[in-house]
Amino acid sequence: MENRTFWQQMLLIDRRILYMILFANMIIFLLVPVKVKTVTSPPVRKFYDTIEQLHPGDMVMVSSNWGAGTIGESLPQFEAVIRHLMRKKLRFTILSFEPQARDISLRFATRFTKEGGYKYGEQWAHFGFMPSPAVAIKGMVKDLPATIKQDVKGIPISQLPVMRGVQTLADYKVVIDVTPSGTVSAWISYRPQNLKVLFCPTSVMAAEAYTFLDSGQVAGMLTGAIGAQEYEQLLGIEGLGTSFAKAISFSHALIILFVILGNIALFMSRRAQGG
Amino acid sequence: MSYQHAADNWFSAIIIGIITMAVLLNIFRAKAGAQLYIRRISGLDAIDEAIGRSTEMGRPVTMIPGLTAFGVVAVQALTIFKYITKQIAKFATPMRLLTADAAVYAVAQEAIHDAYNEAGRPDLYDPDSVRFLSDRQFAFASGVAGLIQRERVAANFMFGEFYAESLIFAETGNIVGAIQIAGTTSFTQVPFFVVACDYTIIGDEFYATSAYLSREPVLLGSMVGQDIAKFIFLLTIAVGTVASTMLGADHPFIKLLGMPGGWDAFWRHVLGGK
Amino acid sequence: MWRIDTSTTAGQVFIGLIVLGFLAFFVGMIPLMQALPPRGRRLLIGAVTFLAGAIFAAEFFLPVDKKGENWLSPAIEPAQSTLQIINALALGLGTYGLMRLHLRNIVQKRAQWGYSVVLILAFLAMGFFSVWNTLAEKGELPKTGFLNKGFGLLFDNMYIPLDAAMFSLIAFYIFSAAYRAFRIRSIEASILMFTAMTVMIGIVMLGNIISYSWLGLPVEQTPEMEKNPFSPANIAYNLALPRVAYWILQVLNAPVQRAIEFGVGIGGLAMAIRLWLSLERGVT
Repeated sequence: MENRTFWQQMLLIDRRILYMILFANMIIFLLVPVKVKTVTSPPVRKFYDTIEQLHPGDMVMVSSNWGAGTIGESLPQFEAVIRHLMRKKLRFTILSFEPQARDISLRFATRFTKEGGYKYGEQWAHFGFMPSPAVAIKGMVKDLPATIKQDVKGIPISQLPVMRGVQTLADYKVVIDVTPSGTVSAWISYRPQNLKVLFCPTSVMAAEAYTFLDSGQVAGMLTGAIGAQEYEQLLGIEGLGTSFAKAISFSHALIILFVILGNIALFMSRRAQGG
Repeated sequence: MSYQHAADNWFSAIIIGIITMAVLLNIFRAKAGAQLYIRRISGLDAIDEAIGRSTEMGRPVTMIPGLTAFGVVAVQALTIFKYITKQIAKFATPMRLLTADAAVYAVAQEAIHDAYNEAGRPDLYDPDSVRFLSDRQFAFASGVAGLIQRERVAANFMFGEFYAESLIFAETGNIVGAIQIAGTTSFTQVPFFVVACDYTIIGDEFYATSAYLSREPVLLGSMVGQDIAKFIFLLTIAVGTVASTMLGADHPFIKLLGMPGGWDAFWRHVLGGK
Repeated sequence: MWRIDTSTTAGQVFIGLIVLGFLAFFVGMIPLMQALPPRGRRLLIGAVTFLAGAIFAAEFFLPVDKKGENWLSPAIEPAQSTLQIINALALGLGTYGLMRLHLRNIVQKRAQWGYSVVLILAFLAMGFFSVWNTLAEKGELPKTGFLNKGFGLLFDNMYIPLDAAMFSLIAFYIFSAAYRAFRIRSIEASILMFTAMTVMIGIVMLGNIISYSWLGLPVEQTPEMEKNPFSPANIAYNLALPRVAYWILQVLNAPVQRAIEFGVGIGGLAMAIRLWLSLERGVT
């Protein structure tokens, strides 16, 4: 076997070693109690301000379309949003376009609302699952009770106290889409014009939403767990987002460190080869 | 007001009509014999090279349409996979087509069967080569990653709509040393494909693929129509930018360009509030 | 016009007749399709495709009344529901294909057939508890401790962590892919690398630490800074990593995304027109 220099070995490093280093880095920074105050990014500030401008009793639709896979990013967003809605004493209903998203959002919303003293049916309700976003939204624009018919527990939604005065989607002020998939485009396309859209995508998807933020079609955005952390900071709470954001932040630093090391290794190896 | 019908803003409907006409007219022009040119797309030229390598190594080729539900993206992806299968059939290279959508699975079975028939090798068609794995995103991802690892595939073609699972596929393919060509309409996944694949087909190049591979006049004509449509969009952007700078973003003329109710607002303004 | 009152016997009989009629129509189509020459078959498929697409196109383009509906609007929801039913049937077909493949693997003792045993056992266990749980939630079956334990074990303790673990793998793959790909080999690669690094640092708390704690750049923009955009203080404010990262995403990234989106949208529309008018040969 030929003798390789340190830098040549660096270039050919086994990816499993990289994975181990990243894993250790994540565990350490999830456990280490580092506290850093961050500056709120404009999309998160707009998100917060949009909710703050609502009045107690205003209706909010939470479109929850995440499942177990993206729980690390979507749950901190979902938790922060629900806590803010309860703090502002807003009425809200949850709707999913995916069966698993229905189960998981019902479970967590039940837990958070119990802690916040919200009563099911009076201040919040879960509409269950609708298969097609475009058809559901178009239907709700015309006649919401006729489209949704009954809630997740089988109660006709027109009998729910939370739905008093609500006939169509235009009676809602804001829709918040917590999603790892492309449901937000259906909300943007078919919503009534008075309904503001707030967006909680996973980090991977956030880049595509800047076009909608720019045009005002999305009024605010929380990007993954980092967005949730900034939001928690605005709310003055420490939730899942805060602890996840530390690990993500230092993982970014680790990746950058290794990219720099990789480039030094490339430079040194080329120099050793004389070219 | 929301945008649900053409009547909500006739301007948008008129634009759709103009684009449709541009596409159809150019299709008929191409059918009539007009000579149309399409630029080189190196990723598509590499398809044959990837198939050749798989044949030499005697290892399978995988084709993945991602999480694409049945629709235009799926049809385009299957058209590309059908072309690849026809090439594969010449050399009897094994293939696997892995889907996450059951409707795509049903159509893919027919398409791949047809591809072997058209290549004159119906004996090579194996119904088990087209597989529905799961409609759950990460269950599908683990199934695909496992198959790529176990069967040490030599070439991996990913065409369709992809979400967070894209890098799992591409990096697993990279680990086993497969030649990888990806094409997607999901632009947030493009960076992942660019870093992990040998060739990436971006944006509307995906829709140009079938025209490029088949050189059929209908498809080439359609491409010209699409370019005219892009020019109309550019013109709308330029006019909109100048107009909103001069008139302000709330002017009825700006609303005409895209807002629901914009058509009515514009004509009310033009006719003096009637 | 498209609604049938299913609470009456007449409505139920009418629905039954419609279902039987469609069934007879589709069963009748099979020998017809087989008897027709390929050209005729293609013509028939083209006509059905055109009619199906025309419903959606006409519903979009026809003028609407004050309620925002035209005579075809009530038909759209049933049409979409039909598509859902077709998808559900296809899911059955997909599951059958999956089971057939893995049962064959086991029976013929193909390579690594043990994995097929695991898959079939997992499928049966999850299917059993999911169906029981769904029926129990509707009150049609008892909700026992065995069900709670079984469903909890499979869903909460296995499925959720496994699904989340697969998503988490992306972080590791991003690390190895970035390490391999971000090399200064050309000017373009260098621009890509520095832009990516700026955004990566700028959007997380490390960007805040570097810009505001270490470099002491201004956190807020004062009215004086806004008035004098080229003042050193305003330039320093805009050079903070979080501001630069946001600028890259908003000013450089968004227009590119938009341009690609326009291209993809137009490409999709052209493809849809070709399919609707049977101009596309493709998989057909």
